[in-house]
Amino acid sequence: MGGDTMNDDLKKREQLSALADGQLHGEELAQALQWAVEDDGRETWQAYHLVGDVMRSADLASADNGRDFLAKLHQRMAQEPLPVRPLLQTPTQIELPPVITAQAANDSAFRWKMVAGFASLAAVAAIGWNALGFVRGDTAGPQLASAPASAPGPVVAAGNPDAQVMIRDPRLDELLAAHKQYSGTTALQMPAGFLRNANFDSPSR
Amino acid sequence: MTATPPAPPSDESPTTHSDLLLVERTVAGDLRAYDLLVIKYQRRIERLIGRMVRDTDLVQDIAQETFLRAFRALHQFRGDAQFYTWLYRIAVNTAKKFLMDLKRDPVIYEGAMRADDDENETSRIGQELTNDETPETVLAAQEIAAAVNAAMEALPDDLRQAVTLREIEGLSYEEISTVMACPIGTVRSRIFRAREAISARVRPMLENRTGKRW
Repeated sequence: MGGDTMNDDLKKREQLSALADGQLHGEELAQALQWAVEDDGRETWQAYHLVGDVMRSADLASADNGRDFLAKLHQRMAQEPLPVRPLLQTPTQIELPPVITAQAANDSAFRWKMVAGFASLAAVAAIGWNALGFVRGDTAGPQLASAPASAPGPVVAAGNPDAQVMIRDPRLDELLAAHKQYSGTTALQMPAGFLRNANFDSPSR
Repeated sequence: MTATPPAPPSDESPTTHSDLLLVERTVAGDLRAYDLLVIKYQRRIERLIGRMVRDTDLVQDIAQETFLRAFRALHQFRGDAQFYTWLYRIAVNTAKKFLMDLKRDPVIYEGAMRADDDENETSRIGQELTNDETPETVLAAQEIAAAVNAAMEALPDDLRQAVTLREIEGLSYEEISTVMACPIGTVRSRIFRAREAISARVRPMLENRTGKRW
């Protein structure tokens, strides 16, 4: 009877030794863990690890058995929630935390960037719209004033009283007609009445 | 004056598997499994912190906080790194935070800071005593180290070789069985018998801080 107890004890210790080396599996592992957490098992575990530590480094030698340390730690751990691993929970147990829409530190900068982006788009759209109108020859665009050369007198609107009347001095038309030869345009489509063609005539050899 | 923590451990230990098992068991709700991890690593963590902080009471407090923080974050430990490497980082960060808090009181800070930043595995025995160390505790530590050495010397060759390959060289049972040309079961038995013989000498020397023996 006593021999069986001693054999059991030796077997448990041997399992604990193997557990310390990470060499236990299956049923033996469960048994060793069960005993390791009891007082005798914990004492043995402490002694085995102390021996290993001191073998590796003499400055790890300590006469403190760690009971006070553990007791104090237990008191503090008792106030802590269990460190449950989320993946071990079933889907029905998982409670999602409330969604917190925390304001990012660069939110204001981001908003300004959005405003700048929209402003750029609006500018591009406006320029494109004007360019399209110009290509189509849209009459809504600005036009150069022109008048028939044969209109000697002031043009007076007739018929429709609401029609706008453009009053133009006939002398201006005469002046323009007289100086027509000087009012050509350049390739840049700019009035260039003051420009004259010039060429360089090199002396013949 | 800033104490530099030693470099994190890089050795691959075969005990990683057992650490992971204990973590899993703790996370599954068996908090007693966490005790085994604390018992296993308390000395190493305290020595690590002791290299950064001089005050032994503070070392204990920081070690407590380290294990508490590790406990809080235990569900995040996936076994990608060794448990001790993970714990080491927590300990260093916790100690740094304590020291930053202490800087507000320079008198306490200067007293708490450790003068040396020795990163080697040099023995603390023979150095000046820290605040809470007494000649008795230092002597007890010396006795334990001597007892382990004496027990090692007294071991039969095969047991001494097996436990040395395991504890100092860090070989797995399979590797030891190859080196010693014996079955894995024999390796397991030899290591166990060596541990039993050595720990039988050490156990009577263990006591808690109040002086009570096991």
